[in-house]
Amino acid sequence: MNTAKQRQCFALLDLLVATLPFYETNRESDNFRLPPPVKQVKAAAMAKLILLLLKLCILFFVVHAVFEDQVGKFDWRQQYVGKVRFSHFDTQMQSSKKVLVATESNVFAALNTRTGELLWRHADKTGPEGNIDALLHHAQDAVLVVGNGRMLRSWDVNIGGMNWEILLDSGSFRSTCLVGQQGTVKHVAVLKKTVISVHYLSNGHQKWIENLPESEIVDYQTVYSGGNGQVFVLGIVPHSHITIVVYSMEDGEIIKQVSVEAPWLSNIPVSCVVVDQGMLICVDSTTMSINTLNLHQQLQMTQIPLQSLGLEVDPDFHPSLVSHQPNPAQKPLSEFFLQLGPERFLLLQLNNGQIVTLRDFKPALLASFATTGEKTVAAVMSPKNKTACSINLFSADTGRRLLDTTLIFTVDPNGGKPERLHVQAFLKKDDSVGYRVMVQTEDHAVTFIQQPGRVMWTREEALSDVVTMEMVDLPLTGTQAELEGEFGKKADGLMSMVLKRLSSQLIMLQAWIAHLWKLFYDARKPRNQVKNDISIENLSRDEFNLQKMMVMVTSSGKLFGIDSKTGGILWKRYLDNVPSNAAFKLMVQRTTAHFPHPPQCTLLIKDKDTGLATLHVFNPIFGRRSQVTPPALPQPILQSLMLPFMDQDYAKVLLLVDDQYKVSAFPSTKNVLQQLQETASSIFFFLVDSSQGRLSGYRLRTDLSTEQGRVMGDRSVLYK
Amino acid sequence: MQAALVLVSCFTDIETGPGAVVSTQPNGDRFKIEGRAIVPGVKTQDWVSTARVLVEGEEYVGFLRTDGSFAVNDIPSGSYVLEVVTPTYRFEPVRVDITSKGKMRARLVNYIKTSEVIRQPYPLQIRASGPHSYFMKRETWGWTDFLMNPMVMMMVLPLLIIVLLPKVVNTNDPEMRKAARLHLISLNPIPYQLCFH
Repeated sequence: MNTAKQRQCFALLDLLVATLPFYETNRESDNFRLPPPVKQVKAAAMAKLILLLLKLCILFFVVHAVFEDQVGKFDWRQQYVGKVRFSHFDTQMQSSKKVLVATESNVFAALNTRTGELLWRHADKTGPEGNIDALLHHAQDAVLVVGNGRMLRSWDVNIGGMNWEILLDSGSFRSTCLVGQQGTVKHVAVLKKTVISVHYLSNGHQKWIENLPESEIVDYQTVYSGGNGQVFVLGIVPHSHITIVVYSMEDGEIIKQVSVEAPWLSNIPVSCVVVDQGMLICVDSTTMSINTLNLHQQLQMTQIPLQSLGLEVDPDFHPSLVSHQPNPAQKPLSEFFLQLGPERFLLLQLNNGQIVTLRDFKPALLASFATTGEKTVAAVMSPKNKTACSINLFSADTGRRLLDTTLIFTVDPNGGKPERLHVQAFLKKDDSVGYRVMVQTEDHAVTFIQQPGRVMWTREEALSDVVTMEMVDLPLTGTQAELEGEFGKKADGLMSMVLKRLSSQLIMLQAWIAHLWKLFYDARKPRNQVKNDISIENLSRDEFNLQKMMVMVTSSGKLFGIDSKTGGILWKRYLDNVPSNAAFKLMVQRTTAHFPHPPQCTLLIKDKDTGLATLHVFNPIFGRRSQVTPPALPQPILQSLMLPFMDQDYAKVLLLVDDQYKVSAFPSTKNVLQQLQETASSIFFFLVDSSQGRLSGYRLRTDLSTEQGRVMGDRSVLYK
Repeated sequence: MQAALVLVSCFTDIETGPGAVVSTQPNGDRFKIEGRAIVPGVKTQDWVSTARVLVEGEEYVGFLRTDGSFAVNDIPSGSYVLEVVTPTYRFEPVRVDITSKGKMRARLVNYIKTSEVIRQPYPLQIRASGPHSYFMKRETWGWTDFLMNPMVMMMVLPLLIIVLLPKVVNTNDPEMRKAARLHLISLNPIPYQLCFH
C-alpha cells in the first residue's frame, strides 16, 4: 500500500543512504590503511541492509488498515439472543411485526417477525443477578422481573428504551401479574416469599406493600387478578391446605383470608390454573380427579373424578393444565387444556361448575391458545408422519376445527423435537382467523412459519453459546490434487517424472478450458438462471486456501458447519443424549489433504459430574457421522491427548486416559499400537487434581498402562 | 481506591446543593447513581436502544430510559468508573465516589493520579464526544503534497538560499572574501606538501 506518506518516508531514507558514504570516508580514511573505495562499498551495503529492514518495518505496520468502504466485503456478523424462555407477540397494531423474547442468557430482545432480524436487544449482567424471572406485556410496555425479584423494569417496546426501573425489596421471587380494573390495566402486582407489592405501570412507584400473613408456615406461590379490583394470593402448606388471601387493589387491605383443605396438593403453579370467573382448577394424578374451587366463595374443593368424564391419566405422567387470559382486566376463558399424556391433550370447558369435554386431541404434541380481537382459537400440533407435524386451529369455545387452517411443519432430522408453540393470530379480510406460528425446538432453534407451511425464518439460537470451534480446510480441487500428487510419491526416475509433469499439465489445461467454457456459457444465460449460491456439494479450496469450513460446537450439543466467506450454515447436527453439564473437546484427526481418505473430526463429550465420556466421529465437510466406530468408554476419562503420529490412513492418534490410569488409543490398529510401543517411553501425562491441589506425572508403558513418576531429592523425576 | 475513600470521608464542606442525592434504601448500604446522557443533534430514541451503562466493567449494569436519563441501582459504597457504552457514539467515562452515608461525588477519570479531583456535576451529565472512529481515512490528494515532498524541499530551499544569500551578504568586501576562503580551507584540509601559497 503505497501511500503518499510512505513515499515521503522512503525518499527521506534514500537521502540518508546517499549521505552515509560521505560520513564514512571523512571519518575513516585517515585512520585505516584499507583503500577508501572498498570501505565505501562495505558501508553502502550495510546501509542498504538497514534501509531494507526499515522499509519492511514501515510496510508491516501500515498493512493493518481497514477503510470504511471495505466494510461488508470480507466480513459478516451474526447476532443471537439465546434460548427463548418467554415470548410475546406485539399485537398493538394490526400491522405490527414484532415479537418480544426474553432468554435464558439474560437478554431481552425484539425480533422482526417478517425477517427474523434483531430490532434491538438488551443484555443484562451474566449470572443469576441478571436472570429474567417473568415477562409481562401490555400495550406498548413490557414489564420484566429481573434477578430473582431484585428489580422490576418496564421497557417501551417501540423505541427499545427503558421506561422505569425500580429496586424491589429483598425476598425471593414467586409470581407476578398485571392487575386490571374496569377494563384498563394500570398496576402490576409482584409476589415474593414474604411480601406482596403493587406498583403503578406508568412510573413503577409502589402503590402499597403488605406482609403476607403466616409466611413462615404457608408457601405463597401464585398471584391472580380477574379484573374486578381484587388481588388473590394463593399459598399452600404442602399436603395440608390451600390458603387464599384476597387483597383490595386500592389500599392493600385484606378483604378475606381463608384456608381450604387440600391434602393432595403440593405445588400450585404446576398443577393448578384459574379459569372463568375466579374458579381454581387443579388436577391430581394420585386421586385421578380434577378439583375445582370458587375463589370468590371459597367454600370447599369440589372433586370431579376423571373417570366420570371417561378419561384416564397415562401412568408415570404428571398431568398439567393450560389456561388463557387474553386481557388482564377481564376474566380468563372458561376453556382450558388438560394434558393427560405425552401425546394427549383435551380441550375442556367449565360450565356452571360442570366440566364438559369439547374435544379430545390424540395424538397431539403441543397445544396453545391465541386471541385476536374478540376471537380466541386453540392451536394444536399433532404428528403427521415421521418427519412432519401438522398444526390446526380450533375454535376455543366449541372445539370445532376451523377450515383451511392446516400448517405443515417439517421436523428437521438434524434438529431437536418441537418443545414450545407460540401462535400469532390475526383477522383476515373475510373475518376468518389467520395465523403464523413460532416453534421452539429442543436445540434452541426458533422457526417462524406461515400458512400453509412456508418457513419465513429460522434462528439458530444454539450459536449464542459456542464452546469450541475448529477451522478445517476445504477439499482440494482436482487440479490441486494433481499438483500435490507430484510431491507425495518417491522419485521414480527422470523419465517418469517428466511424464507425470506432462500429464498433470494436460489435466490442468483441460480443467481450465472447461472453466472458461462454463464462464462463457453462464454469461450467455439470462442472469436469473445462473445459480450462485454456495452448496455443500461443490465446495473446494480457493486459490490461497482462505475460505474454510468453521466447525462450531455449542453448549446445547448442536454442531454447525459454517462457511467462513459468507457465514452461511452449511450443515447442522443435533447430538442427542448430551448431558446438560458437559465439557467438549474438538480435535481434527485427519485433514482434507489425504484423498481418498475422508476428513475426520472427533468430538469428546464429557459429563463433568460423572466423568463418563462419549466420542462422536464425523466428517467436518458434510457433517455426517463417520463410518469409523469409536471405542466404547465405560470408565470415566481423565485426560485426552492427540499425538502427531499418523495411522496408515493418515489419521492422528488420540490417547484417552481413564480413571484406572489405563490408556486407550483411537484408532487402535496394529500399526498404531506398534508405533506407540516404540515411542511409549517419551509420552508423558500430567494430571491435575484442582480440588486437592495435586499435580502428578505419568509415563506411558508399552502395555498401555501408565506409571507414576516419583520426585527425587534433587528435583528430578524418576520413572521406573 | 482506599486513598480515594479516605479523601472522601475527610471531605468536610457540605455539599447540600441539588448535586448530592442521598438515597435511602431499605438495606441501608445500597445506593443508586443517576445521570443523563445526551448526544447533541440526535434524537434520544434513535440511539437509546443500543446503549448500556456499565459501572466498573460489567459489575453493575444499567439501561437508559427513553429520554436519555439513567439510574444504576443497587450499588454499595465505593469508587466506581461509570461509562455509557454505545456502538455508534463515544462517551467519556466518569468516576463516581459514594461514601458509606450515601453522598455522591463525580470527578474526571485519572488512572495515573487516582486521587486527583476535578469535579463533575452530579447527577451526571454526559455528552457524547462524537461518533466512534473505527476506520482509517483514505488518503486524499492535496496540493500541499507537492510541497511536502522532501525531494522538492531539497531543491527549493537550497535554490532560495543560493539566490537570496548573495543579496544579503556583501561579496565584494575583501575581508568577507578572505574569511570565506579560510573557512573553505578549514573544511577540506590539503596536506602541507600540496599547498601552494
